[in-house]
Amino acid sequence: MLRNTSIIDKYVKLAESANASIMVDGDTIHIVAKPEYIPGLAGKLFNEFKCVHRTCVATDERPLSGFFSLTHLFTDDSNGFYVALKTYLEGDKPRAPSIIEQVPAADWCEMEARDLVGIEFEGRSAYRLVLPPGWPSDVYPLRKDFQYDKRPNMLPVSEKVTITEESSTVPVGPYHPALHEPEYFELYVEGEKVVDVKYRGFHVHRGIEKLGESRMTYQQVNFLAERICGICGFEHSTCYALAVEKAAKLDVPERAQFIRSIILEVERLHSHLLWLGVAFHLVGYDAGFMHMWRIREKVMHLSEYLTGSRKTYGINLVGGVRKDINEEKKPKILETLDTLEKEFKELVDIATSVPQVKRRLTGTGVLPREDAVKLGVEGPVARASGIDRDARRDLPYAAYKHVSFKVPVYTEGDNMARTLVRVDEVFESISMIKQLLDQMPKGPIRLEEFDIPPGKIGVQVVEAPRGGDIHFVVTGEGKPYRWRVRAPTYNNIPALRVMLRDQPLADAPLTIASIDPCFSCTDRVVVIKEDGSVYKLSLVEGVKL
Amino acid sequence: MSEKLKPAKLLIVATKSGRVTKKYPYEEPLVSPDFRGLIEIDENKCIGCGACVNACPPNALQLISDKDTTVIRYFIGRCIFCWRCVDVCPVGAIKGTRKFELATDDASDLYVHVVHKKAKCEACEGNGGTQKMLYYVVEKSPITEEYLNECPDCRKKSFIESVAKRRAGGVSE
Repeated sequence: MLRNTSIIDKYVKLAESANASIMVDGDTIHIVAKPEYIPGLAGKLFNEFKCVHRTCVATDERPLSGFFSLTHLFTDDSNGFYVALKTYLEGDKPRAPSIIEQVPAADWCEMEARDLVGIEFEGRSAYRLVLPPGWPSDVYPLRKDFQYDKRPNMLPVSEKVTITEESSTVPVGPYHPALHEPEYFELYVEGEKVVDVKYRGFHVHRGIEKLGESRMTYQQVNFLAERICGICGFEHSTCYALAVEKAAKLDVPERAQFIRSIILEVERLHSHLLWLGVAFHLVGYDAGFMHMWRIREKVMHLSEYLTGSRKTYGINLVGGVRKDINEEKKPKILETLDTLEKEFKELVDIATSVPQVKRRLTGTGVLPREDAVKLGVEGPVARASGIDRDARRDLPYAAYKHVSFKVPVYTEGDNMARTLVRVDEVFESISMIKQLLDQMPKGPIRLEEFDIPPGKIGVQVVEAPRGGDIHFVVTGEGKPYRWRVRAPTYNNIPALRVMLRDQPLADAPLTIASIDPCFSCTDRVVVIKEDGSVYKLSLVEGVKL
Repeated sequence: MSEKLKPAKLLIVATKSGRVTKKYPYEEPLVSPDFRGLIEIDENKCIGCGACVNACPPNALQLISDKDTTVIRYFIGRCIFCWRCVDVCPVGAIKGTRKFELATDDASDLYVHVVHKKAKCEACEGNGGTQKMLYYVVEKSPITEEYLNECPDCRKKSFIESVAKRRAGGVSE
């Protein structure tokens, strides 16, 4: 506790230096400051306090307080604190100072706030990120006066492949050749070498945040959150439920938290096995792909056995879970995990000895540590570049404080390192599920009755197979007033430009796949200029290549 | 030499695992006993209260009302098979099944309608809930029987009137 007070004192001093008010609520430190102090405070949090900038949230609070608000969310991973840096903005055309000079990772989320809530950022170039090119410029979908089922008049605008004199353009997409998701890369090649990359995403923005804030109730949003991503859906629904529970200060039964952790690890197993299969397929080792997916099928059966569905498990609710893992199920889970561990070990051993797999993975798509830190990458991509960060250990949630596990960290930063991180995590997950099953306490699996008071804030990070998901919830009457979601691929995509540069074209699909991209997650929330042309990632331009 | 031959070990793995593709649909079962599939609504048990409609996340269950009837419409095309309706149904009219083969060439197969008659209001000729819902309420709490011949709006009105009369101290009868 003494340690905690000295850390909180540090934050109190920081807030006092900027005339800001500070409030500590559980593991979240809320700092409310005047807009002009925000860049300075954010810079200190990022550079001196070594906090990670996760995302920023713009909220239309006019019906409540008459202001717009902007909250930058940081996490202090070494001390286990969440830091919410909030400011109120006046007027119908609110203006806020930009923090991208101090925190480059805030680029996309600021532009998202500009598109969806209409906050102008001072001191930076602005472009349209999320909304389609034909969308009218004065309509902001996340403002409270915009109806969720309204469709503004829009003219469809088509986009063309960029053709330059210096290099040839190779379009990849709008469907990824391996991952079957809508996104678009333009690779500029000279001979066989990739010299530059452009990314155009956000084709599948589905307005999920607006839907959760308008049509749905607290318990319904769990099912919507699960559909943000087809692979790591349970992470999103857990993250949402935990955020609401934190905001409402609900004491969720321990057993429910254990069941959540078990299902989260089962989902990580299936996700990593799927990715390994896809990676082998991309390097042309289809036999390995088939066998990896054969053993993955066991995990799919396991999740159906435990939850009632192969994917989109649908067992999370605010206040607990819907399906118990009883004693009769334990032997079958342990048996499946044992055979899985044996078969996986054998298969990975064989697959990594295949010369083509070894050569194609080693030394390709290198992301050096310095770039990884600057870009704020997440999950296995960060851990393969030597950043030791895992929300399960640093910001424990659900039942992770009860288990011991290693966080695999590699320093090479190439595709091989990212593969090995995932291989190691599979073994860790298997051991974690066994520990969790062993220690599972008895008791109820969900709270029967509880109230959620309006106007409370909950922030939660959940480590998905691809990195940290973050959900931010402001509670309202019967449904969230504001619900903000950020998926890990959002932070990982900008790193691709570093990885692809000066690499042979043949390695590009594999390198793109190596971040395990999940475009639907990211796009829930487009990189285009007002004239409809594709925007070049300014963030990555900041990194000297 | 053995290191070079290691990739060939996959042949052993493949022989051991054999054929894993199931001969569906000639082989049973494809789904586990815990699988959540199609829901079935028992028309006789359903009282048309709309609890399932309020709980349904994707709006697969909808309440459609006209003058005399209330219809619960289940559209399978939207259903996510979460079974929240099964959880919340007060009379246990909705049952979860393991059915998953739902493809059809006729879109009308994807709709299930449960039609309920509305209860008539004695005061205003309009109507409120379904008849079956009133029976259900009376059964649960017999004391309510005398209020139930009016629709909720008329009930409110007559309640306010009687309070107003009492306040004014006048008795009109």
